[in-house]
Amino acid sequence: MLVKFKRNFGITISHFLLILSSLAILLPILWVIRTSLANRLIAYKIPPVWFFTPTFDNYLTIFDKYPFQQYFVNSLVISGIASIVALIIGSLAAYSIARFRTGDPWLRLSMLSTQMLPPIALVIPIFLIMRFVQMWDTLPGLVLAYLSFNLPYTVWILISFFQSIPVEIEEAAMIDGCSRIQSLVRVIFPVALPGLLSAGVFNFILNWNEFLFALILTGRNTRTLPVAIASLWTQQGVNIGAVSAATVVTILPVVILTYVIQKSLVRNLTFGSVK
Amino acid sequence: MAKSTFFNSLPTRDRKAAKGLVAPAVIGIWVVILFPLLYALYVSVHDWILSQGEIGRLNFSNYITVLQDPLLLNAAKNTVILTASVVILEISIGFGLALLLNNKCIRLRNLYLFILLIPMLMPPITVGLIWRLLLHPDLGIINYALSLVGLPQPIWLADPTLAMITIIIVDVWHETSFIILVLLAGLTSLPDELYEAAMIDGANAWQKFRFVTIPLLAPTILVATIIRMIAALKTYDLVYILTRGGPGIATETISYYIYKVFFVFLDMGKSSAMAFILLGIIVLMTLVLMRVMRRVEQ
Repeated sequence: MLVKFKRNFGITISHFLLILSSLAILLPILWVIRTSLANRLIAYKIPPVWFFTPTFDNYLTIFDKYPFQQYFVNSLVISGIASIVALIIGSLAAYSIARFRTGDPWLRLSMLSTQMLPPIALVIPIFLIMRFVQMWDTLPGLVLAYLSFNLPYTVWILISFFQSIPVEIEEAAMIDGCSRIQSLVRVIFPVALPGLLSAGVFNFILNWNEFLFALILTGRNTRTLPVAIASLWTQQGVNIGAVSAATVVTILPVVILTYVIQKSLVRNLTFGSVK
Repeated sequence: MAKSTFFNSLPTRDRKAAKGLVAPAVIGIWVVILFPLLYALYVSVHDWILSQGEIGRLNFSNYITVLQDPLLLNAAKNTVILTASVVILEISIGFGLALLLNNKCIRLRNLYLFILLIPMLMPPITVGLIWRLLLHPDLGIINYALSLVGLPQPIWLADPTLAMITIIIVDVWHETSFIILVLLAGLTSLPDELYEAAMIDGANAWQKFRFVTIPLLAPTILVATIIRMIAALKTYDLVYILTRGGPGIATETISYYIYKVFFVFLDMGKSSAMAFILLGIIVLMTLVLMRVMRRVEQ
């Protein structure tokens, strides 16, 4: 009787704590979504109006008055290209390190050690170099800058992926007459595809969220979403509705992609150090 | 550089192929990381105010000058307060929630987990913006809620102490998900046999936690701590969007102060020197923690 009571009590407390923390996460996000759907007058009302007809005016404003579609495309292009380039170059290197232990162990460890590098330490020289070679405020400039964290990450994560693929598969393919390159392209890459995909998506999210490099290396032409919404606050005082709509537009793709890679999240987030 | 014996035992053809495959990545790392870093090292021992023209004369005293800069000291103090607070809070709260979620008797645990993981990959800038909206002194919902229950309605980001506390709270809101995910993964991978053995030996819930869970999970907790600590030492985005280091210099972190010296005062030499000092601190702390980890694992 007492034991049962104690267990039920424990479970009730657990639910209470979990509901409390879930609300702490959900309410702020729901509030911003609500504000993004309110018209100008309602958005500013305190005490708040709880029931109103939703409107998409704020979304129209950010795409109409500010060139948010341009920022969105900039973010998409820069994040996408950087993660694809990192994936191509990085997967080749990771395969080589996993299979042949190329440059063991220095090459592998140098990839990991880049995690310690503060972005501000890198962005200063990159800014000076870009200014010198006139790549400041260009898409290729930001793509190159993003490779500085995409590339080591991709190599490091994919080494363990390639190591988990048995050498025998490859040897069998080579006995069947494939060259090493053929066996790489036809046998290894299809098997490693889930790993490649999750590394690519994760890089994309990192790039999409990145702020410091984008703030310093972009100007009028290449501004990305985080830089654009950060400036939205100061330009006009606060247009609460527009800021909320822009926030929702920026978060949405990340939430969708997170869902895609949720299974490999732990590996991705911890740089593979927790299995 | 010592090459692995395995690599040397490979046939020449394979060795060539192996080198060819890593070449693009190695070149890439040189172009986007090593070369910029070496250049920054060069800049860090020169006088160079960007608004006054090109790179000036050699000046090794940059490092000494910036170490005596009271503003850098202030930023270092803020960074330590921020890092220590968020790491301790996030590990404790994250560990607690991971333990609750690890209980298989809890219904809806997948739903809870999903909700609790949402903030993790949100752009820091949007997290900051959401909280600025909520905490707005006149238009924010939080101060309205406080007024309903008769509590004082602070101007969150205008008071020096409160501004720092706000940044800490927002960071905890944003980053605890990561700790939950990592520790929950660690907890679910612990072998059931040990718990069964402990039960047979008559251990109660607390003893199982103290003598099975904690020792087995310690390495995972340390890894999570190292990763969070490295990230927290670099905190920049949240400070930028929430306070811009203000009020005054109350919430300037090292990264933010370097950014200011670099992008506002346009002092390339001193900002580069500071960046290397920050890098040194991070490397040092990581090495210390990794040594601790090795001891724990033994």
